[in-house]
Amino acid sequence: MAEQNLTRRECLVRGAGAVLVAGVAAAGGYLLHDRRGGAAFTGDRLTDGAAAPPGLPDFFAQVDFPASSPRISVALGDEACIEQMVRTAVGGLDPARGMGRFVAPGDVVVIKPNVGFDRPPYLGATTHPEVVRCVIRLCREAKAREVIITDNPIEAPEACFAKSGIARVVAEEGARIVVPTEDRFEWVAFRPHKPDAAKGEALHQWPLFAAPLRRATKLIGIAPVKDHNLASASMALKNWYGLLGGRRNQLHQAIHEVISDLALLFSPTLVIADATRVMMRNGPTGGRITDVKPGGELGRPAVIASVDPVACDAWCYQKLLGRDPARLKYLELASAKIQAVAGGAHRFGEASWQTYERAGKITTASV
Amino acid sequence: MSAVPAAQQRPKITRFRDSWRNGLRITSIRIVVQTAMFGLFLAFVFLNTFAQLDRLPGLRDWLSKFLEIDPLIALATALTTHTVYRGLLWSLVLLIPTLFLGRFFCGWVCPYGTLHQFVGWLLRSKPGKEDAHPNRYRPLQHVKYYILVAMLVAAVFGSVQIGLLDPICLLFRSFTAAVVPSLNTAAPALFGAPRFHQGAWLIGFILFGLVAANLVYPRFFCRVLCPLGALLGLLARFAWWRMERDPDTCGGCDRCRLHCEGACDPHAKLRKAECFVCFNCMEECPENSLRFAFFAPRAHEVAGPDLQRRKLIFAGATGLLFYPFVRTTGRVTRNFASSVIRPPGATEELEFLERCMKCGQCMKVCPTNVIQPAWFESGVEGLWTPLMNFRIGHCQLNCTACGHVCPTGAIQRLSVPQKLGLNEFATQGPLHLGTAHIDVGRCLPYSAGIPCQVCEEVCPTSPKAIHVGRRRRRRGRGWGAVEADDSPPVPVVDISLCIGCGLCERECPVVGDRRAIYVTADGETRSQGCADRDHNRSVRLPGVTPAGD
Repeated sequence: MAEQNLTRRECLVRGAGAVLVAGVAAAGGYLLHDRRGGAAFTGDRLTDGAAAPPGLPDFFAQVDFPASSPRISVALGDEACIEQMVRTAVGGLDPARGMGRFVAPGDVVVIKPNVGFDRPPYLGATTHPEVVRCVIRLCREAKAREVIITDNPIEAPEACFAKSGIARVVAEEGARIVVPTEDRFEWVAFRPHKPDAAKGEALHQWPLFAAPLRRATKLIGIAPVKDHNLASASMALKNWYGLLGGRRNQLHQAIHEVISDLALLFSPTLVIADATRVMMRNGPTGGRITDVKPGGELGRPAVIASVDPVACDAWCYQKLLGRDPARLKYLELASAKIQAVAGGAHRFGEASWQTYERAGKITTASV
Repeated sequence: MSAVPAAQQRPKITRFRDSWRNGLRITSIRIVVQTAMFGLFLAFVFLNTFAQLDRLPGLRDWLSKFLEIDPLIALATALTTHTVYRGLLWSLVLLIPTLFLGRFFCGWVCPYGTLHQFVGWLLRSKPGKEDAHPNRYRPLQHVKYYILVAMLVAAVFGSVQIGLLDPICLLFRSFTAAVVPSLNTAAPALFGAPRFHQGAWLIGFILFGLVAANLVYPRFFCRVLCPLGALLGLLARFAWWRMERDPDTCGGCDRCRLHCEGACDPHAKLRKAECFVCFNCMEECPENSLRFAFFAPRAHEVAGPDLQRRKLIFAGATGLLFYPFVRTTGRVTRNFASSVIRPPGATEELEFLERCMKCGQCMKVCPTNVIQPAWFESGVEGLWTPLMNFRIGHCQLNCTACGHVCPTGAIQRLSVPQKLGLNEFATQGPLHLGTAHIDVGRCLPYSAGIPCQVCEEVCPTSPKAIHVGRRRRRRGRGWGAVEADDSPPVPVVDISLCIGCGLCERECPVVGDRRAIYVTADGETRSQGCADRDHNRSVRLPGVTPAGD
C-alpha cells in the first residue's frame, strides 16, 4: 500500500490549498469585518459620523458684476418678438456686453427652466420654449462650450420636455437635455448644522438632482411667473425646487422655509423671469386658458432678467401678480438668510424691489 | 420472518469497537460531544429571553454563537452587504478545521444533524435486520450543491434566502416558533406563558416532516438538502485527514455502510465531500481495515462532488432570475405594505433583506411576543422575517433585546438611550417604528359618543403622543338639531411624537382584525435616510410640528 501513498508534491499542494482557502477566508473576513455593527444606522445619516455631503458651488462668483449696474432689467413686448425681449432684458443688465458679462468663453452653462408639468406652453405652467431658445443662443454667442437644459419634472420627464415644446427648441438649437435618473441624484448639504425651526430653517441635507450642476461653471434659471396654491407664487426662487429629489412631497409641510433654504443654497449666474403668459390662478398646474393672462397685471408680455432672484421675485409678485411682496413669507426669510451669511452680500438678497427702484437699479425697456 | 435470533444466524465477528484497543470508543466521545452541543443549543434557546438577558447581559454575545460560527451565514451576508458583521468572524472557527478534517461539523457539532442522527437511531432496525442499502451513496445528494449555488447567486444580487434551509437558522426558527410554544401550551407552569407565532403550523410541520424523513431516507436533510453541508463538503476537498480503507485487509463485508451517516461509500472510494467523520464505519469494521488517515492515497477517494456543469448553470440561472422576479413586484419599494413594521434598530428594508436570516432569534428574545414571522407582507423574499404585530404585543419602551441577539445586524444593536433619543441622542430624537392612526368610523368616542381614551391613557411617550380633544357634535335631528359640546373627548394622535410602539393598538377595546387605533410603517425612522423616494417611508419633514401646538 506504500506505493499508493500520496507523493510529497501532492501533500504539499493539498496543504497549500487548505492554507490558501483558510487564509483567504480569514483575511477576507478580517478586511470585511464590521465590528461596530452594520453600515451606519439609517435612522439619521448625520449623527453616525457619515461625512457631510458637499453643498453647491457659487455660480455668481466668477461674474465680474459692477456695483453700479442695474440688477433688474425688464423688457416689455409681445409674444411675436420673444427673442428680442430676452435680448433686451439681458442687455439691460449690461448694455455693452450683454450675456458676455455672465457667460465667458468655454463655460459649461446649465439652464434650468420650469418643465414641471406635462402641459403645452400656452397654458403657462412651464417656461416658454422660445425664451429657452433665445437664452441658448445668447450662451452660444458668448462662446459657451456646452449648454445643458435640465429639470426634474413631477410627471414623466420625457413627456414634460416634449409637451412643453422645450425638447424641440433644444434639439433645434443643438443643445442637450439631461433628464433625471436615479444615479444623477446626490445628497447635498444646505447648511453644516441641524436646521433651527425657530429661525425658519428647514433643510439640513437633501437629495438633489446635482449631476448636471457638478459639471457646470454657470447656472441660469428661467422661471415662468405663476400662481401657486401653497406658496402663493412660483417664480425664480421656487424654480430651484424642481431640482430636488427624494421625498420632496414632504417639503410642502414647510414650503416657505424650504424655498428660502433653496434661495440660500443656489447662487445662480443669472435668473430670467418669463412673464409672457402669466398663470394668475389655479397654480402651479393651471390647465385652463382663462387662468393665463399674458404679462399678468402689467398687461403686456414681459421678460425680466436679474442678478438678484429675491428682488426679482418681489418685483414680479407685485407687478405681474398684483400682490404685496411684504406678505410673501419666503421672500422675507430668503432675504434674512442670504444677508446673514458672511460674504453673502454679493448675492444681494434684497427683499424690497422699491429699494432698487430708488437706487435706479431697475431698467425697463419696450421692444 | 425467522424466529431464530440474529446472533445465531450469523457468524460471530469481532469488530474494532469490541476489541481491547478501543477501550474508550471514539464514537462514544462523539456522542458525548454531540449531546453537549445539543444541550448547548437547548440552553441557548431557553436562555434566549429578555429576563435572562436582563439578568446576565454577557449572554448577548453568546446566544447566537451557533449562528455566528456558521460560515454560510458569514459568506451569504458578505456577498450581500460586503461586510462581515460583528460576531460572524467566529465562522473561521468552524471553517478552518473543516479544511483539515472534513465535514466533522455535520457529525459532531450541528444540533440539527444530531437531532436527525438521534431520530434515525430511535427508528433503527433491530440488530440483525439492519440493511446497508439506505446508506448507499445516491446521486440525489448533489441537490444540496445546486441549492447552495442558487442561493449564493441570489445573494450576490442582494437577496439572502440561505436562512430558509441553513440548518442552524432552520432549527432556531423551528424551536422559537413551534417547539417551545408547543411546550408552553403543554406545560405553562414549566415553560412559561404560551406564545403565539404567525404561521407556526408550517414551520412546525416542516421540522416534523424533515425529521420524519429519516424513516424512509436516513439523514435526508443532511445528505440532500443542507446548503451548509454542501459548503463544508466543498471545503473538505482540502482535508488532510480522512477515513481510509485498506483494500488489502478489507473483506468486503459492507458492514461499514451499516451505520454510515453521510452515505459516503466507505466500502469503496470514499466521497470526502459527503463524509460526516462520524467514525461509525471504523468501529463497525471486523477487519480493522478503516482508519482516520493522514494524507491517505488520492486513488482511494472522490475528492469533491462530481457536479454536472449543465445542472450548475441551471442552478445559477435560478438564483440569477430569482432576484429580478421577486424585486420587480415592487413589494419592497414603491408598492410596499404598510404592515411591514420592523423591530427597533432594523435597517432600511433593502438592507434588511440583505441581512435577515429568518433565524427567529429576535422573536424568541422579545419580551412581549410582538415580533412575528412574516408571510409575504414584504414579498416572497420576506418569508419568516420579523414583523411587529401589535395585536399580539407591543414594543417595550426600554428594551432593545432583539438587536442584541441578531447575528447579522439586520436589527442593529441599539442602546436604550439611542432608541428613545435620550442624552447624547437627544438631537436625533426617538426611533419611530411607524405611526398610529385612528379609525374614526370605529373609535368609540368618535363614532358612538362613548367615552373611552384607553389609548391616551397607555401611550408611553412623554409628552404623550395621544392627547384628548373636544369635538362639537350634532344633537337631535332636523329643525331641532343643535351643535353641542357635551360629547366625550376624542383621542388625537400627534404624529411628531408617536414612535409607533403599538401599545395603543394592543390595548384598544375595539377588537377586530384591525383595531380602532392601529400602527402602520408610515413615518418609520429606518428609511428616512433614503434619497430614493421609493424606499423612503417617512411622512413628516423632520423638525416640522403640526400647526396649533
